[in-house]
Amino acid sequence: MVQLVGSLRKELADSLSTCKVLVVGAGGIGCELLKNLVLTGFKNIEVIDLDTIDVSNLNRQFLFQKKHVGKSKAQVAKESALQFCPTANITAYHDSIMNPDYNVEFFRKFVLVMNALDNRAARNHVNRMCLAADIPLIESGTAGYLGQVTVIKKGMTECYECQPKPTQKTFPGCTIRNTPSEPIHCIVWAKYLFNQLFGEEDADQEVSPDTADPEAAWKPEETAARATASEKDGDIKRVSTKDWARSTGYDPVKLFNKLFKDDIMYLLTMDKLWKKRKAPTPLDWHQLENSACPQEDSPVSGLKDQQVLGVWGHCQLFQQSVETLSSQLQEKGEGAELVWDKDDPPAMDFVTAASNLRMHIFSMNMKSRFDVKSMAGNIIPAIATTNAVIAGLIVLEGLKILSGELESCRTIFLNKCPNLRKKLLVPCILDPPSANCYVCTSKPEVTVKLNVHKTMVLSLQDRILKERFGMVAPDVQIEDGKGTILISSEEGETEANNSKFLSDFGIRNGSRLQVDDFLQDYTLLVNVLHTEELERDVEFEVVGEAPDKAPPPQTNQEEVNSITNGNKDSAQPSTSSKGQHGRKLQLDWLTEAYNCGGSNSS
Amino acid sequence: MIDMIEKEDPVISEEEAAQYDRQIRLWGLDAQKRLRGSRVLLVGLGGLGAEVAKNLILAGVKGLTLLDHEQVHASEESCRAQFLVPVTARGQNRARASLERAQNLNPMVEVHADSDRVEDKPDDFFLQFDAVCLTGCSRDLMVRVDQLCSQRNIKVFCGDVYGYYGYMFCNLGQEHNYVEEKPKLVKPTGNSNDGPEAKKAKVDPNETTMVKKTSSFCTLKEALEVDWTSEKAKAGLKRTPVDYFLLHVLLKFRTDKGRDPDPQSFAEDSQLLRQIRDDVLEALAVSGDLLSDDFTSYCFSEMSPVCAVVGGVLGQEVVKALSQRDPPHRNFFFFDGRKGNGVVDFFGPK
Repeated sequence: MVQLVGSLRKELADSLSTCKVLVVGAGGIGCELLKNLVLTGFKNIEVIDLDTIDVSNLNRQFLFQKKHVGKSKAQVAKESALQFCPTANITAYHDSIMNPDYNVEFFRKFVLVMNALDNRAARNHVNRMCLAADIPLIESGTAGYLGQVTVIKKGMTECYECQPKPTQKTFPGCTIRNTPSEPIHCIVWAKYLFNQLFGEEDADQEVSPDTADPEAAWKPEETAARATASEKDGDIKRVSTKDWARSTGYDPVKLFNKLFKDDIMYLLTMDKLWKKRKAPTPLDWHQLENSACPQEDSPVSGLKDQQVLGVWGHCQLFQQSVETLSSQLQEKGEGAELVWDKDDPPAMDFVTAASNLRMHIFSMNMKSRFDVKSMAGNIIPAIATTNAVIAGLIVLEGLKILSGELESCRTIFLNKCPNLRKKLLVPCILDPPSANCYVCTSKPEVTVKLNVHKTMVLSLQDRILKERFGMVAPDVQIEDGKGTILISSEEGETEANNSKFLSDFGIRNGSRLQVDDFLQDYTLLVNVLHTEELERDVEFEVVGEAPDKAPPPQTNQEEVNSITNGNKDSAQPSTSSKGQHGRKLQLDWLTEAYNCGGSNSS
Repeated sequence: MIDMIEKEDPVISEEEAAQYDRQIRLWGLDAQKRLRGSRVLLVGLGGLGAEVAKNLILAGVKGLTLLDHEQVHASEESCRAQFLVPVTARGQNRARASLERAQNLNPMVEVHADSDRVEDKPDDFFLQFDAVCLTGCSRDLMVRVDQLCSQRNIKVFCGDVYGYYGYMFCNLGQEHNYVEEKPKLVKPTGNSNDGPEAKKAKVDPNETTMVKKTSSFCTLKEALEVDWTSEKAKAGLKRTPVDYFLLHVLLKFRTDKGRDPDPQSFAEDSQLLRQIRDDVLEALAVSGDLLSDDFTSYCFSEMSPVCAVVGGVLGQEVVKALSQRDPPHRNFFFFDGRKGNGVVDFFGPK
C-alpha cells in the first residue's frame, strides 16, 4: 500500500530527512533552492558562498533584506531559511568552494551536490570534485528569461567539461588600439586605460596606437620594419603610460590631448587603415570648451544614468574622474594600484567618459552610463521568476536521484517562448560521457600547440593549466626519463622557474608533461606541439578545437546560452558545429528561444 | 488603467533604481513604471499563492492584496507548505499570517491582508485592481470572477498545484496590447557617387525597435467547455496535452469534495479520482485511455518545487501583462513535474 508523506512516497520522505546535501552558491538560484529544499523536507543542508549582499541582489535574492547589505550571503541565507523550518540542520560557509579545505573527503559527506554558481572556474572545479568523490551533481544557470538544469553523474552522463565551452571573448590588440568599430571595443580600451593609469599595468592591455598592426602596412615587410623602428626610436610605447601620466601630475587636459588628439592624429598617419574605413576625428579640449553651449538641465524623466551626455559633458566627466582617481592613488602611497570596480563611482565615471570620447572620435553613437556599465561590468540582467523556476526543477531532479531513478533525469531548458512543439520547458535525454573528454575519461590527454622558446613557465601555469584547463593547484612533471619537476603547487618551491622558457628545460616538439591537481584528484597528460606560427595575440591553441577568434558580430540570442554558464565569463558559442546531440540541441533551443513566433498573437 | 502611458509619478527614485537595476536592464524602465502603477489581487495563500506573492512583490507592483479566508492548517508538519507563514501561526488566518514576511520582501510595495471569502466580495471590490490571480478556488468561482473581471478590462489569472502537476490559465481580454522588442536591421549605405567607397562605421548591432502587437483571449468558461465531439476536435486530440483533462478531473474533485486530494485519505481519494476520471472523460466524449491510473499517486498535496515552477511562470505572466511587454502565453500553461514538461496551449473557440 502506497504511503504518502505530503506529496512524496514515505521511503523518499524518510531519506530526505537523513541525507546530507550541498548547495554551492547562495545568490539568485541559491536562495530559491534553499527555500525549496527546506520546504520539501530536506533536513541536512550545507551552503557555501564567498560573497556579501549587495542592494542590486534584493530584486530576486529574497532571503536578504536591505538591512543585510554587506553581510555574508551564506550566513544570512541560512538564518532566513531556518525560519521556514527551525528544526532543519543548515551549515553555512562564508568561503570559496575552491579552498583546499573542501577536499574529496568533504564532498563525500554528501549524497547530492547542487551548483548555484555564476562563473566557469568554480563550475569546472566542483565538476572535478564530484567526479573524484563520485557524487551526483546538479548543474544549472540562468540569464534573463532563460535557464537550464542538468544532471552530472560519473560514468553515466557527460561531465560539465565533456563539451568544450567557449572561452572569454577577446578582441585583437589592433582592434582595441587602432581600429575600433563597436562600442565594446572602446569600452575595453577604456578599462585598459584605467589599469595603465591607475591600476596594475599589463603588457596585454596596451592603449597606445599599435604601429606593428599588419593592416597598416602597404607591404608585408613594412610591418616588421615599423615594429623595430618604434622600439629603437623610444616611441610612444617605450615610456610607460603610468610614468608619463605621473610626470604630468595626472593633468586631465594633458591626458585628454594625448589620448584623444595626439594619438588619434598619429593613427591618421597610418593611412592604409583608413582606405576602407571612416577615419577617426581627433578632439581638441580647448575647442570643445569654447564651443560648448551652456545647456539647461533637461528634466530627468527617467534614470539619471540612462541619459546620454554630450561630448563636452564627457570631457568634464573625464576631468572629474581623473582628478578623483589620481588623488585616491596618491593617498594610497608609493607603488599603489587601484582595482577597477563597476560599483565604484569614479572608476565607472572614468570608463564612461573615456569610452564615449573614443566612440565619438570613431563616429559611433555615444552611450549612457547605464549601458556602458552593462558592457564594462558584464552585467547579466536577472529576475526572481527565472531563478524560481530553475530552482524548482533542480529539486525535482534531486528527488529522482534520491529515489534511484537516474535514468529519468533530464537536461531541462527554460525558453522565453514556447517552441514549435508548444514547449516552454524542454526536457532532453542526458548524453553519455564524451570519449575524448580531457577531464572525465580514465586517462585524460590533450595536445597543446605553442612556441617552446616564447612560452614562460608562469604562462603555462596561469594561462594554460589554470585558466584554460581549470586547475587550481597544478603540479607539473616533464616525462623526460628524469621526472624533472617543472612546477610545484607548494608555494615558493619552483618560483625560480617562472620566468624561464619551456625550451630551457629541454621541452620541445613532442614532449609530454604530466600535470596533477591533487585537490581535484585529476591527472592530465599534456602533449606539446611546437610551432612558430601562431596567430597574432594568440599564445597557445588546444588541438582539436576551433581557434578563439573574435567572430563576426553575434546577435544577442546566440550569446545567451553561454552566458547562462556565468556572468563572469562573457562568452560566445563555438563556431564549430559539433554534431553531438546535446550541443546541437542547445543551439536549436537558442534560435527558437528568442524568436517568439507569431503563434501567440492573433 | 494600465493603458495610460503617464503613470502618476514619472520619476523613479534612486532607491528603486538601485534595487530594481538588474530587472530594469531586462525589461526596461517603461515596463518597471507600469508595474509600479499596478494593483493586484491574489486569492489563496497556499504554496502556489505564496510563490506568486513573492514574485510580484519582488517585481515591484504598487499594491498586492492577499485574500484568503482559510486558517493555517494545524495538521501540517513542521516543514510548512509555504514560507510566508511563521511556524508559530497555527490557527491564524492564512492571509494575515503571511503579511509580515510578504511586506518585508519589499517595503516599497503596499501589501494588504484580507480574511474574507472571495464569494462574499461585492462585484465592485474587484474594480480597484488591474489584475486578479485566483488560486485554490472552485471551478464555478473562477468562472464567475473571470467573467466579472474581464468585462471590466481586468486581467485574470488562475492557477493551482496538485502534487507533481500544476497549471496556469489567463484571460487578458479580447484586445490585449503589448510591445515586443525586435532587433533593428540597418544596412550600411555607401554613397555610390564617391570614388573609393568609404564604408560608414558599423551601426551598433544591439539596436532594437519596439513593435506594437495585440493578442486576444477567451473566457475561462469557453476554455473549459471545448466541444470534443466535433471531427476537428477529435483529430486534434493527438496533439492535445492530457493535462487539460487532468485539470477537469481535479477541478471536479474539488467541487464534489470541497477540498483537494488528501494524503491522509490516500486510498479513498485515489479511488474517487479514478471514478471521477471515468465520469469526466465520458462526459467530454473522449477516450477513457487518455488518462491512465498513474496520475492518482502523484497529485496529492502542493509540492514545493512544483509551486516554485508554476508560481514562477504565472508570476512572470502577470508581470508581462501589467507591463504590456512581450507576448503572453496563450492561454494555458501545464507543468508535469514527473517529466519536466512545461507546455503552453490554447483551449477555446478558434
